[in-house]
Amino acid sequence: MRSPLVDDARTLWRLRGLVGVLTRRELVARFAGSAGGVLWAWVQPLLTIASYYLVFDIVFAMRMGENAPTQRVGTYLIVGMMAWTAFADAVQRGMSSLVDAGGILQKNPLPPVLFPTRAVLASALVYAPMLLLLALGYWPLHQGSPAVLAMLPMVLLQITLAWLLGYLLSILMAALRDVAQVVAFMLSVGPFLAPVLFPITLFPEGWRWLLWLNPMTAWVLGYQAVLLKGAWPPAEVGLAMGVWLVVLGLALDVALRRSREQLVDWL
Amino acid sequence: MTPQAAMFAETVLRVRDLGKEYRLYSSPRQRLKAVLTGRSTHRSHWALREVSFDLQRGQCIGIVGDNGAGKSSLLKLLAGTLRPTTGSIERIGRVTAILELGAGFHPEFSGRDNLYFGGSMIGISREEMVRLEPEIIEFSGLAEAIDRPVKTYSSGMAVRLAFALVTAVQPDVLIVDEALAVGDQQFQKKCIDRITAFREAGCTILFCSHSPYHVRTLCDQALWLEHGRMREFGDTEAVLGAYETHSRQREAPVEVAEAAAPPPLPYERGPTSALIVSCELSNLREGNPGLLDSRDLVATITVRGKGDERPNIGFMIEQARGVGITSLATHEEGAAPVYLGDRTWRSVLTFPELPLHSGDYVISVFLFDESGLVTYDLWFKFLTFRFLSPKLMPGLVRLPHHWS
Repeated sequence: MRSPLVDDARTLWRLRGLVGVLTRRELVARFAGSAGGVLWAWVQPLLTIASYYLVFDIVFAMRMGENAPTQRVGTYLIVGMMAWTAFADAVQRGMSSLVDAGGILQKNPLPPVLFPTRAVLASALVYAPMLLLLALGYWPLHQGSPAVLAMLPMVLLQITLAWLLGYLLSILMAALRDVAQVVAFMLSVGPFLAPVLFPITLFPEGWRWLLWLNPMTAWVLGYQAVLLKGAWPPAEVGLAMGVWLVVLGLALDVALRRSREQLVDWL
Repeated sequence: MTPQAAMFAETVLRVRDLGKEYRLYSSPRQRLKAVLTGRSTHRSHWALREVSFDLQRGQCIGIVGDNGAGKSSLLKLLAGTLRPTTGSIERIGRVTAILELGAGFHPEFSGRDNLYFGGSMIGISREEMVRLEPEIIEFSGLAEAIDRPVKTYSSGMAVRLAFALVTAVQPDVLIVDEALAVGDQQFQKKCIDRITAFREAGCTILFCSHSPYHVRTLCDQALWLEHGRMREFGDTEAVLGAYETHSRQREAPVEVAEAAAPPPLPYERGPTSALIVSCELSNLREGNPGLLDSRDLVATITVRGKGDERPNIGFMIEQARGVGITSLATHEEGAAPVYLGDRTWRSVLTFPELPLHSGDYVISVFLFDESGLVTYDLWFKFLTFRFLSPKLMPGLVRLPHHWS
């Protein structure tokens, strides 16, 4: 039997023009009617970065404890928070994309996969450039180490992760709307269960394995290694990324197989 | 075979053993469980089962059936918005569905912007749209309003734009779900003209309607669905005749004539609308019902037409509590109404020696456009009259006959 996930990937490639149109439209529609328009999409995260830097590094000049990859709190926080915000935004938008597109899907013969994809891509268009630009802002820390090259694949893999998870959750949400509430809660506590706010060394050694249950732990550690120390991401980070992507890919494939035929009826 | 005949013989739609199962879960929780565990406790409802047919290029097929017979499911499967549970659908060329118009327009964006976006959703590229745009805007009649946000449109305007968009490109298969009721009289006529033009250009049309009149006028084949299965498929008249007999038998215990509400007029009325002005029966005495004091039934029908287009008039007699007896229309018989000036037309319909037995009869009058496809106005069962036949034999109608 053919894998529905592979089918979807083929469909996306075939309809790549439409994916482009839909993605652009999603971004523009979000800010339709505002004077600033689509620029707000980038202004918001930029302001967040600026305020972390101002508050923690300039006004309070807070310092991290021993063994932290950097001493400045704001500098440390920005890396993890940008990665997490990008992930949470993409997953959340991806998750509600199918239910939101219910009306369109019931009246137009379009493959459902278009909608989680456009939601995740629209989010990525905002955050991926931000993450990549951090590499410039953090030049004094990594000093142009070749490890910076790892940023691009990591960002692309993060987008893939968000797409797999967002699409999977969008199917679950189509089945049961309450899924959205549970996921919203998990996304709000997620930053505490990853080395986003505190370095991993601050977590008790016996409980550190718990952090790896958060898919973003791998990516946050990877970005921190590159941006704060100019080091290549450690091997376990790459391994964790691979495991998460494969597990989510298989789960999504199963969910698609079980729901494909009735998905549109549930919207 | 001539090239044209060869073109028409081409199969554009092949449906084999099509089935659609709806899984009914006792709660959405069960649905989630089904996705997570693969086990499910659902009840099955088969909306459609074992449906197979072929459609050739240029055919027009009408789908009839009671509510819940699976008509909408079939159209959605053919349009591709639903996925079949069993069987297969092979489609050749471009398939356009007019299922529900105006879905997917974004209220904040202008009509023009929505046009480009909506076009990309139905496979019209930007370059193609640049070429089609003037024609679409012209057809929709929106003029400058095209650059206003869609949220400022009336529902009629949005639907007009949507219809103009989906029909901008000539499809190979057109699927229409009773969507002929679009906008005002004038636009409705434009819609029907366009669908007729598609048909003449060799487009295959699937048409789902509750109006047997429209199915008869438009379609050369009909498909009767019952409880999701094909009951009959073949020539329109044979299938519709069987379907109507079936409907009558089923409804027989109820007093249909009393219960049936007049079908609503499918359009908005305006000051320039075409309408029926009057219908008078000669020699009708006062009373309830009035007694026809004549051997002949003479109806004088006056209507107001649309512009300088010549309208057509329909007339129907039914038993007051029972079956239809006859329906007649000017366009069917080449009997044009007479022009009286000022958009007013008149027809006088005479039944000499009215061949009915004694009883109460109810009449309806219809006003059609020139083609007979658009119903501009109808007076449905608006007048009941009593007729006393000089012959006192039981029955309904004296058929032409001779003894030998």
